Amino acid sequence: MKNPYLPIPMVVKKAYSETSDRMLRTIELGFLNESDEKGFQFMPGQFCELSVLGKGEAPFGIASSPTEKGSLKFTINKAGRVTTALHHLEEGEEVGLRGPLGNHYPIDRFEGKNVLIIGGGFAFTTLRSLVVYLSHPENRSKVKEITIIYGARMPGLLLYKEELAQWENRKDLNLVVTVDWGDKNWKGKVGLVPNVLEEIAPSSKDTYAVICGPPIMIKFTFPKLMALKFPNERIYTSLEKRMKCGIGKCGRCNIGHLFVCKDGPVFSYAQLEKLPKDY
Amino acid sequence: MSQLAIQEKIREKAKELLSKKEVDLIIGFSNWTLPLRTTPVFIRTPEGTESLIWNSFCENNLATYIHKFSRFRVGIIVKGCDARSLTALSLEKRFNPERVFLIGVPCQRMVDRKKVTKAVKGEILRAEERGEEIIVEGEEFKTVLNKKDYLYPSCQVCTHRTPIQAHVLVDDPVEESPLVEIHPGVNQFEKKTFEERWRFFEKETSRCIRCYACREVCPMCYCTECFVDDYRPKWIGGGLQPQDLQFYHIVRAYHQTGRCSGCGACERACPMDIPLTYLTQKLNQDVKELFGFEVGLNSKTPPPLSTFEVDDKGDFIK
Amino acid sequence: MMRRLDKRDFETFLESVMEECDLYAPVSLTEGVSVFKKIDHPNEVNFSQLLTQKPAKEIFFPQSEPMFNYERRGGKIQITSNEEVKRERILLGARPCDIEAISLIEKVFMSEPYTDLYFLEKRRKTTLIGLGCNPPLSTCFCSSAGGDPFLRSGSDLFLVDLGDAYSVELLTEKGMVFSKNKFLREADPEDLRRIKELEDKAFEKVGFSIPMDGIEKRLDLMMESFFWDRVHEKCIGCRICTYLCPTCHCFDIVDEGDFARGQRMRNWDSCLSPLYSLETSGHNPRPTTRERTRQRLMHKFNYFPKIFNRVGCVGCGRCIQYCPVHFDIRQAIIWTSSKRPRKPKI
Repeated sequence: MKNPYLPIPMVVKKAYSETSDRMLRTIELGFLNESDEKGFQFMPGQFCELSVLGKGEAPFGIASSPTEKGSLKFTINKAGRVTTALHHLEEGEEVGLRGPLGNHYPIDRFEGKNVLIIGGGFAFTTLRSLVVYLSHPENRSKVKEITIIYGARMPGLLLYKEELAQWENRKDLNLVVTVDWGDKNWKGKVGLVPNVLEEIAPSSKDTYAVICGPPIMIKFTFPKLMALKFPNERIYTSLEKRMKCGIGKCGRCNIGHLFVCKDGPVFSYAQLEKLPKDY
Repeated sequence: MSQLAIQEKIREKAKELLSKKEVDLIIGFSNWTLPLRTTPVFIRTPEGTESLIWNSFCENNLATYIHKFSRFRVGIIVKGCDARSLTALSLEKRFNPERVFLIGVPCQRMVDRKKVTKAVKGEILRAEERGEEIIVEGEEFKTVLNKKDYLYPSCQVCTHRTPIQAHVLVDDPVEESPLVEIHPGVNQFEKKTFEERWRFFEKETSRCIRCYACREVCPMCYCTECFVDDYRPKWIGGGLQPQDLQFYHIVRAYHQTGRCSGCGACERACPMDIPLTYLTQKLNQDVKELFGFEVGLNSKTPPPLSTFEVDDKGDFIK
Repeated sequence: MMRRLDKRDFETFLESVMEECDLYAPVSLTEGVSVFKKIDHPNEVNFSQLLTQKPAKEIFFPQSEPMFNYERRGGKIQITSNEEVKRERILLGARPCDIEAISLIEKVFMSEPYTDLYFLEKRRKTTLIGLGCNPPLSTCFCSSAGGDPFLRSGSDLFLVDLGDAYSVELLTEKGMVFSKNKFLREADPEDLRRIKELEDKAFEKVGFSIPMDGIEKRLDLMMESFFWDRVHEKCIGCRICTYLCPTCHCFDIVDEGDFARGQRMRNWDSCLSPLYSLETSGHNPRPTTRERTRQRLMHKFNYFPKIFNRVGCVGCGRCIQYCPVHFDIRQAIIWTSSKRPRKPKI
C-alpha cells in the first residue's frame, strides 16, 4: 500500500520571478521517475504539497494544465520559511512533491455552458490551469463562452503576462485584465475587479462562475454576482486554509465536517452556505 | 473571619460593584462538579454574585484572565499572590489599572488537592472544609484530615498573603509568618550536589507532555509569540526529546525571574505532577538576595532583570 | 471462550508472552501518574489508576514520531520511511473507552482514499487486551457516549479483575492464539456470576445522565449561538484536554534537521493552540478561545458524527479530571439541551 506521506522526487527545470516586486516566483518541476510521471493524473483546481526537506512542506495550487505535458508549474508567494526556501531553489535542485491532492473544478458541469472566471492577485494560479485546459483545442468546444476577468493591484503584479498576451489575441476568449492603479506604460483597464464585473455584466443564464482571490476581493465581488442573478450552486471558489497533511488526517483544515484538503479546495457557494463560517 | 463570612463579604462587594455599574464583569470562584475543586466564574449581573464562593480550594490565579478580559472593566477576587501578579502586570503595562478593581482576600492558604487525593485509598466523592479540618468521603471511607498538613508548598512559605494592593479587603490582614522558612522543594534542591540537581531536573522534566498548561495558567506568560513557536531561528523542537523538554522548562523559569509571584499555579496545573515551583522559587530567592527585590509589592519598582541602570552591580564580570 | 488467570501466575504469564512480543502496559512514572509504555519486566505493570494520564492511543499514534529520514548524498535525496513494525505487540490493560477510541481514530486514519500506514502497521501488529472497569470513576460517562465500562468490542482478549484472579475472555482470532497458553486455566463456574455482579455495579455507577442523544442536531442550530461566548470564558488555551483525550488525533508535521540529513516528524497538535489555524497572511479564522473551544466541541459532537455516525467522545472523563480550570465537558453537553448557560443542578 502506498504511503501517502512520502514525497516523490522532482527536479527544478525552470525558475523565474513573475512579478515586479519579486515576491512571486514560478517554478517548473520535472519528474525524476518515469513511473511517477505516468501515475500522475490531475485536473485543474487540484494542489500539491511541495517539500524542501529540512525546511518543511506547504500546499500550492497546480498552475499548469494537464494538457501541458512534461512538467508541473507552481507559483510561490514568498511569505515564510518553506516559501523562502522554494524561492532560493535553482535549476537542477531537487524538491519533494505529494499529489495531486484535493478535488478539482467541476469541468463536467461546465459542458455546454458558459464559464465566467474571476481572479484576483496571486490567487490566479489554479485559474491559469483551468483556462489553459478549457482553451486547449481538445476541450474548447466542450464549453460555450469563456469570459475571464483578472485584476491585480498594479501592472507589475500581474501573473502569467505571456499567457495573458496570448489569450488577449484569441477570438474565442473574452479576457479583461484590470489593475487597481495603472502606471505610465499601462494601456489597459483601471478599476477594481468588482466594478469591472459590474461593468461587463456577463449574463448568468447557463453560466458557471469561478472566483478566486483575496478575501477582500471576494467580499465585494460576491454581491455583484448576486446582483447579476448567479445562483449559489453555480458559483465556485477555491478556498485556502492552513494545511499540513493534505489528506484529511491531521484535522487542521476543517470547515465544519469537510476538509479543505480532501473535500475541497474547490467548493460551490451552495455548499459553503451550509457550512460554519469558520474560514 | 470564617470562610463563610468572607464569602458573604465577597458577594456583597461584587454585587455592589455590579449594581453601581462600576465594573462590567466580576471574575471569581464558584463550586462546580468535582470535590476539592472550584472553578473560575465570570459574573455580569448583581443576582449572579450569589454563585461566588470562597474556600481553601480557590487555588487558581485569576490574574491570568486579565489578558483575555482587559477590554472590560473587571473586578477580580485576588489572594496575596494574585494581587502581586496583577501589580507586576500593570507595571508591564498589560492593562489600564483604572479599569480593574481588586477585591482582596487575605489568604488562609490553599489546600493541596493532589496530596489529599494520595492520602486516601479510593476515589474522593465528597469533600468538606470545616474549620481546620478537611473531611473527605468516598464510597468506602470517610476520613478527617488536618488541613495544616495538606497545604501547597508555595503557600507554606508565603509571606505576602494579604493583598495589600487591593482596592478593598474583605477581611483583616493576616499575620505574615510563613509555616516554613524555605520552600520545601527549594530546600531539597539546595541540599543536592550539582550532579544530583541535574539528575533530579532531568528525571522530573522527562514526564513533560508539552501541554503548556504551566505557561497558559501563569499570568506572567502572555507573549503572543512564545519562544517555543519561533522558527527563525528555531530554538526548540516540537517533540519529546529530553533536550527540548529541559530547554523549555529552564527558559520558562528564567523568563519568570523577578516577575514570578510564587502563586504555584504552574505546579497545580501540571497533569504529570512535575514539580515546578522549586525552580521559580529558587530564582525568586536569588533575586531577593542579589537585588533585594520581590515582585508586585509596589507598583513603581520594575523587576530588576527588565531594567538597566548605570550603577547596576557589575561584580559578576571578572 | 472463557479462561482464568490466577494473579500469582500473572507475571510468569506475561513473561511467557514477552518472549515473542513487545508488551505495552500502564507504567507508573511517579505516584499518581502513569502512561502506557513498553515494559522490560512484568513487575512494571501498574493497574492502580483506572485511567492513565496519557491514553492508549499513544501506542498507535505516538506523541512524536519520525515519519521518514532523509539524506542528501551526491545531489540525490534518499528517503527512508519508518512505518515498519518489526515485532508483534500486545497492548495490555487498556480500558474499554480507550479501546473504543482507538477504533475511532482508525476510522479517520484509514478513511478513503488515503491510509495512514504509520497507524495501520502498528494496529495490525497489536493484540488488544482490554480490562474492565471495576469500579469506574465519578468522572466516567462512557455509557452516555455509546460505550460501557465492560464493553468488549474492539478487544481481542478481555480481562476482569475478580480479586484473586483475572477472568480472561478470548474474543477474536488474535485472542484465540492464547487458548493454548498454559497459564490460562479453565474458568471457574462462579466467575460468570461474579463478572455479572461487577458489571451491574459499574453500570449503575456510570449511569446515563449525560444527554448525548440528538446532540448533533442541537449543535447544527448553534454554530453562531451566544452559548459559545460564555462557554469559552474560563478556558486558558492549554492543551491538556486534547493531549489526554483518547480520540483527539490532530497533528503537526515538521522537519527537523539540516540540508544534509534529518527527519520529518509528526507531533501531536491541538486545535486549542492559537497557532493552529493561523494562516501565513496573518488571518486567523479562530482568533480567540471562543472560536477554538467551539471548534473542539463541534468537532467532537457535530462534525465527527456527521462523517462517522457516532460522537467523537468516549466519555473517559480525563479532560474533566485534569483541566486546570475545571472545565466540565458534561456541563457543556447539558447546556446544549437548555436555552442558554445557567448554573446547573448537578
